[in-house]
Amino acid sequence: MKLNHFFRILLIATLGFVFFTFKIFAVENIDERVKNLTLELRCMTCQNQSIYDSDAEFSKDIKKIVKRKLQEGLNERDIKKFLVQRYGEYILFRPLMNYNNIFLWSFPFILLIIGLFFVLIKTKGKKI
Amino acid sequence: MSSLVGFSSLVLAIGINFYLFLSRYIFKFQKQKFNLFIRFSSLLTLLSFFSLMYAYVVSDFSIYNVFQNSHSNKPLIYKISGTWGNHEGSMLLWLSILSIFSFFFSFTKNIDESFQRLTLIIQSLLHILFGLFIVFTSNPFLVNSILVNEGLGLNPILQDPGLAVHPPILYVGYVGYSIVFSIAIAGLFQNTDDEWLYVAKKWSLISWTFLTGGIALGSYWAYYELGWGGWWFWDPVENISLMPWIAGLALVHSLMMVRGEQAIKKWIVFLSILCFSLSVFGTFLVRSGILTSVHSFTADASRGIFILLIFFIVTGFGFLVFLLKEPKKSNTLNLLFINKVSAIVINNILMIIATLTILLGTIYPIIIEVLYNKRISVGGPYFNSTVIPIMIPGFLLMSIAPILSWQTNKIQNSKKYAIGFIMLSILVLIQSYFSDFNTWGFVGLLLGFWIILASIIAIFSSYKVKFNIKFFQIINPHIAHIGVGIAIVGITCSSVFQNELDFNLNEGDKFNVNGKTVLFQEIENTNKINYQALRGKFIFDIEKNQSKKIEAGKNYYPVSKMITSEAGILHQWNKDIYFILGDQKNNEWFVKVLINPFVSFIWLGVAIMIYSGFIAVTRR
Repeated sequence: MKLNHFFRILLIATLGFVFFTFKIFAVENIDERVKNLTLELRCMTCQNQSIYDSDAEFSKDIKKIVKRKLQEGLNERDIKKFLVQRYGEYILFRPLMNYNNIFLWSFPFILLIIGLFFVLIKTKGKKI
Repeated sequence: MSSLVGFSSLVLAIGINFYLFLSRYIFKFQKQKFNLFIRFSSLLTLLSFFSLMYAYVVSDFSIYNVFQNSHSNKPLIYKISGTWGNHEGSMLLWLSILSIFSFFFSFTKNIDESFQRLTLIIQSLLHILFGLFIVFTSNPFLVNSILVNEGLGLNPILQDPGLAVHPPILYVGYVGYSIVFSIAIAGLFQNTDDEWLYVAKKWSLISWTFLTGGIALGSYWAYYELGWGGWWFWDPVENISLMPWIAGLALVHSLMMVRGEQAIKKWIVFLSILCFSLSVFGTFLVRSGILTSVHSFTADASRGIFILLIFFIVTGFGFLVFLLKEPKKSNTLNLLFINKVSAIVINNILMIIATLTILLGTIYPIIIEVLYNKRISVGGPYFNSTVIPIMIPGFLLMSIAPILSWQTNKIQNSKKYAIGFIMLSILVLIQSYFSDFNTWGFVGLLLGFWIILASIIAIFSSYKVKFNIKFFQIINPHIAHIGVGIAIVGITCSSVFQNELDFNLNEGDKFNVNGKTVLFQEIENTNKINYQALRGKFIFDIEKNQSKKIEAGKNYYPVSKMITSEAGILHQWNKDIYFILGDQKNNEWFVKVLINPFVSFIWLGVAIMIYSGFIAVTRR
């Protein structure tokens, strides 16, 4: 078996599994949603800690607020918006995917495409 | 007295290096004499460093630096480590390690004499730059203007055995790239043969191995000392140490091509310059006080500007020489889909993308603050969703890369690998059905185990198993990759499958952790030499005979009025049980218990990587 056959199988298998796994995403309960959200928020009174990991008073308050808002039926996006209005974008560990941060978010993937092109061009003409 | 000895030997060492630098253009030294001067200046720098250490050990508060950062009733180990637990001392340590590298390099045999001398001249230049930086902006030997009997004490967070050895080891890694840098620049000036690539390989492996050890110590310290149960935070300071590490890894891999006679000199030189530039850049960012963290001791603008200047001189000089003295075009690359050359090229591309992404993410908040006067954060979620997906193809490739051929795109025994991969996927899928399903967990486990499995298949099907040094040298790449696989399994399990339990307890309460009964015995308050310790005492698995004692609590350091948390960790081979003692409320203590599965695999994996780093040094 040639190597490229092997790689094709490998790729298909991996992709298949990944898509398969996305389908069976379980519904999260509220505590998990609180955890996932607060892991992405900065504790403003600590040094480089997420709200989830921190036991500071500030973090305890935010955890309560997040939980209450989730119970009220708001989604993660609305809660983030609310917190940004109150504390500024500094609270978000995951920078907003908006026009201002377009360079930050696209940069790695632009590099990846350039790298991919480089490899493809250099291997061009060789039998695959 | 020690300040006089220290300062004069420091200045004398700089003077000697200056003299050596000038001598190149005025008169020629004999080799013997030249090397003797280099070694003499190294010993002087060390003397300077040890006289500062001596001042710390005897608590000589007539030196301002000692007064600021030490205290007489502190255990000896922290008096010693206090030497580098501050800005001035750590810069002197940096310089000392630089001169130790010059010292050992001057003993290198089998190397062109003029090449060696040129390399050492460039080292001397670096020595002068950093030496002047110390003398003018961060002199640790300044005399205290007032008479005092007691010092102000060392930051309590730094009073920990892990952090006592973390900086020197990390610095050996950082500064080790200076010699790689000097070799590369010398190689550009003297475009003779490719012998220098072998020398560069050895030194870059040494640096990389120490850097690995230094980073691992730092994150292990974060794990047991910071008390939040994690070990990596994508903190700017962590990112800064990770950048030269990844670039160094790319360098080590592209130096492999020397053996396959596919030397891409240009790229290797570029990476060598990049590694050292990133090291200096890291020092600048950490020491300038732009980033706030435990590592930035004081914020002083003049220092930041001076280091920035050094950074621009070093990087500018390096890349300028690189552009002007571009190496001759070596033989074209034999890139096939997919042989060893293309695997290494892909590896290098991915690692550089990762390095640049981390660089952007780390300085992005600074750029935004300067441009728009707005504070934003770029934290873990950003890096997790950019760096990790980009690295995944690299992880897939590394499983079989060491057995790929240089010339053809055929692979031996490919059926074995295909069957192995399919079987493994099914196994991991079954496992994920019986536990809480998580996409990242699934991908991570599959990748980690696949790297381990493929490496094992490769070892047993491609080589004759013998137990001598040569065999271990040959299979070393596979061993290193097994280490990475084990670390990936550990990282995945401990981050994805971490479990948290919260309790509010009185003394004497029993509670249930993972099916085992734990007794919260008592709270104890004790006075140690330099701190007060508050400890919650737990007995794990009380119903069995082999029950374990765990202590978790906090330390209060009266000298600096700071509280540090001390997590209580029960290490088992397959999980860590991590106790954190919280605050007391209504006579009840808040206790947080984290169950971190397979954390020990991370440290095991890193230990294997360090081991194979050292084995690789022994192989030509």
